[in-house]
Amino acid sequence: MKTLTVHFTLNDAPQTLVTAAGRTLLEVLRQDFGLTGAKDACGGEGECGACTVLLDGEAVNACLVLIGQVEGRRVLTIEGLAPAGELHPIQAAFVAAGAIQCGFCTPGMVLATKALLDHTPHPDENEIRTALAGNLCRCTGYTKIVAAVQMAADKGQNER
Amino acid sequence: MNAETTLIGQPEIRKDAAAKADGAARYTADLALPNLTYATLLRSPHHHARICSIDTARARCLPGVIAVLTAADVPGARTFGMIPDQPVLAIDEVRHIGEPVVLVVAASLAAAKSAAAQVKITYEPLPAVLEPKPALAPGAPLVHPGGNLLAQFNVDSGDLNAGFAAATVILEEDFSVQRVTPGYMETENSLARVNADSSLSVWVSSQEPFIDRACIAAVLNLPAERIQVLSTVIGGAFGGKEDSSLAVLTAFAAWATHGTVRIVNDRRESFVAHPKRHPARIHLKLGAKKDGTLVALQGQVWMNTGAYASYGPAVGSLLTEMVTGPYHIPNVSIETQVVYTHTPYSGAMRGFGSPQAHFAIESALDMLAARLGLDAAELRRRNLLHQGDLLPTRVRVNETALGLERCLQEATAARERLRCIPATPGKVSGVGLALAMQSMGLGAKVPDTSSHRLEWLPDGRVLIHLGAPDLGQGLITVAEQITAEALELPFERVLTAPFDTRDVPDGGVTCASRMTYLVGNAMLAGAAGLKKQLLANGAALLQVPLDQLSYAHGELLLPGGRHYPASEFASRAAEAGQPLQAEAAATFPYPAETTPQHLPAGMPHVKFIFAAQVARVEVDPELGTVTVTDLVAIHDLGKVINRLTAEGQIEGGVSMGLGYALYEDMNLKANGQWVDSFTEYMLPTSRDMPTRLELHMLEYPEADGPFGAKGLAEITVVPTAPAIANAVYDAVNVRVKDLPITPEKLYAAVQ
Repeated sequence: MKTLTVHFTLNDAPQTLVTAAGRTLLEVLRQDFGLTGAKDACGGEGECGACTVLLDGEAVNACLVLIGQVEGRRVLTIEGLAPAGELHPIQAAFVAAGAIQCGFCTPGMVLATKALLDHTPHPDENEIRTALAGNLCRCTGYTKIVAAVQMAADKGQNER
Repeated sequence: MNAETTLIGQPEIRKDAAAKADGAARYTADLALPNLTYATLLRSPHHHARICSIDTARARCLPGVIAVLTAADVPGARTFGMIPDQPVLAIDEVRHIGEPVVLVVAASLAAAKSAAAQVKITYEPLPAVLEPKPALAPGAPLVHPGGNLLAQFNVDSGDLNAGFAAATVILEEDFSVQRVTPGYMETENSLARVNADSSLSVWVSSQEPFIDRACIAAVLNLPAERIQVLSTVIGGAFGGKEDSSLAVLTAFAAWATHGTVRIVNDRRESFVAHPKRHPARIHLKLGAKKDGTLVALQGQVWMNTGAYASYGPAVGSLLTEMVTGPYHIPNVSIETQVVYTHTPYSGAMRGFGSPQAHFAIESALDMLAARLGLDAAELRRRNLLHQGDLLPTRVRVNETALGLERCLQEATAARERLRCIPATPGKVSGVGLALAMQSMGLGAKVPDTSSHRLEWLPDGRVLIHLGAPDLGQGLITVAEQITAEALELPFERVLTAPFDTRDVPDGGVTCASRMTYLVGNAMLAGAAGLKKQLLANGAALLQVPLDQLSYAHGELLLPGGRHYPASEFASRAAEAGQPLQAEAAATFPYPAETTPQHLPAGMPHVKFIFAAQVARVEVDPELGTVTVTDLVAIHDLGKVINRLTAEGQIEGGVSMGLGYALYEDMNLKANGQWVDSFTEYMLPTSRDMPTRLELHMLEYPEADGPFGAKGLAEITVVPTAPAIANAVYDAVNVRVKDLPITPEKLYAAVQ
């Protein structure tokens, strides 16, 4: 089997990984690094957004990124968003707004929100809904998720 | 019961939220265990076929392969289920696409999949029947030897012929609803380990871990005590995780290999191999007088239950009870047939028959109103169910229905408001409303109890040993809030133990909108028990007469103002090996004197929940697309326990109802394959939700509900689809009688 050596930054820590080619970033995060915040909910088809991570600050579906594609790039997962034991203001807003039920979509939602607010610190509701349209949630009907994003934005709480 | 409360109704923050937000929450598929191996399933590619041979020789020799298992390897019962018709692995025959046939266990998932590809199964395809009416025809291919009619339910009241004879208008219509998937984000999965003492630990993502344990015990021919079923965080369920298939398969794989095995259904497997909401055809004949008084209803329902029974019969019985909706109709005859077909099986899903029934009756009432020249809300008002009315099941409605009239009033007012909003240029707007009712509880003559245990921890906090899993909806939060209220403790001082059948009593299945009612009442009983224990313990330790002691806010009080925190006693009791604990159980009441006994087990239901929803839509007549711009949801909750979780239930239910109305359809494609991915099966996204969603939460107390609370989860989804269908009709004068209302259907009809 062909192997690859990949250098990348994962949650601010440099990594060198020797791995079989053809694996996805999602597999590597979950299996090799034990970072299970990114979920697989659609079978690796990029339909649900539950595996959303930030790649050089852009929200991507980790199930659609081959590990070779992260060479030289920065990967941020939900585990790296805030120091251990603390919540990032976006996470705190999701908690406070009641935007979390089963929670399976939450890490992806939070990171999609982070990408949105980094580009657009004060989005209107339409921009929020559009930014989250690739992240499915079956529990909440999105209402409180949209409210959480608004809450985080209103407080200007997205300092990087 | 509505005395001053401090915590009830408050938007307390669920305690698992932070861990879910920062990625620390571990769902079953996230658990890491040493020596983990992986299994994958080979599934049937046929609707119906005979298995001629299975050749596993080549697969067994591949690197990393630990076992290749077939039905012949199952040590105990080879089938399971409420009606045990479902094979663990197919026996001689497959009855639907996706049915598991061979289980491959290997050191890695990749090795398991490679090996599975080398298993040779030869099939002889057999004629298949995919729809209920053909399945009931003479000579139809049989799904099971006993015939394709799995169950039939009849509910009759009054004199149907006399009723129709008295009618001035008779409406006769056919409705159909589609197969939908629960669509929880976390697919079914399980993890099982054979322990050093030959016991078995099984982690499940399930609504019914005690039933899973019983099924595993039967399949492995083991005593239930040897099996520990655990549950960690669950990523949604909505009824679809009332199914033991993955738990059984994973336990079997671990047992057969003496190892630790994980199975995770991928999304495509989840579509074809786990319960769906039943597709159904509903024929309604409705008779009314000129003034709109409903005098007769005849209903005939065909439910496509698929290849295995699952909870199909129970869904059929409740659907039958719900066909008349929240209306008083004196002469009724309803017949429901639950029919086996060679399709992925249907079973429990949020609403449990009620969404199907309400799409039909609530659409039909609007059609009848148009026929009579009456306002649709006024027609409903004239026939509304009231306290004292007899349901077709001969249950006399009690004060459970007091909130219904107000639901209709608020819906009518909301409709008038929404009608004033002008349509976006190029679009046509319409407003529609629908009412709904939903039962609480499992129905009469079946065990409907929920048992739990409360414990004073040595530090004075209270631990709930909750006997049924939280599915993500917030059951734990509701239990903690009620317990904290009852013991006058801060919310933070009540917590809940992880679910483990070795620790918790049997709380039954988390289902049927029964948990707030049952768990809430159980917590009240348990809290009273804990107080009693603390008082008795305190009296003995302090050597004071029991009647000198009182309890308040987690402390024992003596006359004269001395007070001792619960921890004083709880810590000593725990040290002595006798922690202060109290059983916390509740049973759903079906009083013999008021519960009709002429119906099968599981019928009738006696307590109900009511709601109304109003939808405003904009239709693009050139595209046939429907946008739901506004939705007003009016729900009688009896009493709000937690405002945030209650709102979350309604908002989530509305989105699921919107998907049911407009998008979701697990149908058979032209290529002979089921729609089995989110690429073709459209779940509502954030962009599909109404721009304005308004919630009205009414509180007409349920007489014996905890603080007056009713259930909530299921009814939230019920009125949405008919309200949208009625709004679409209002907009473009087109009545779509088969869900979902797709642009194709609407465009064709509008043209």
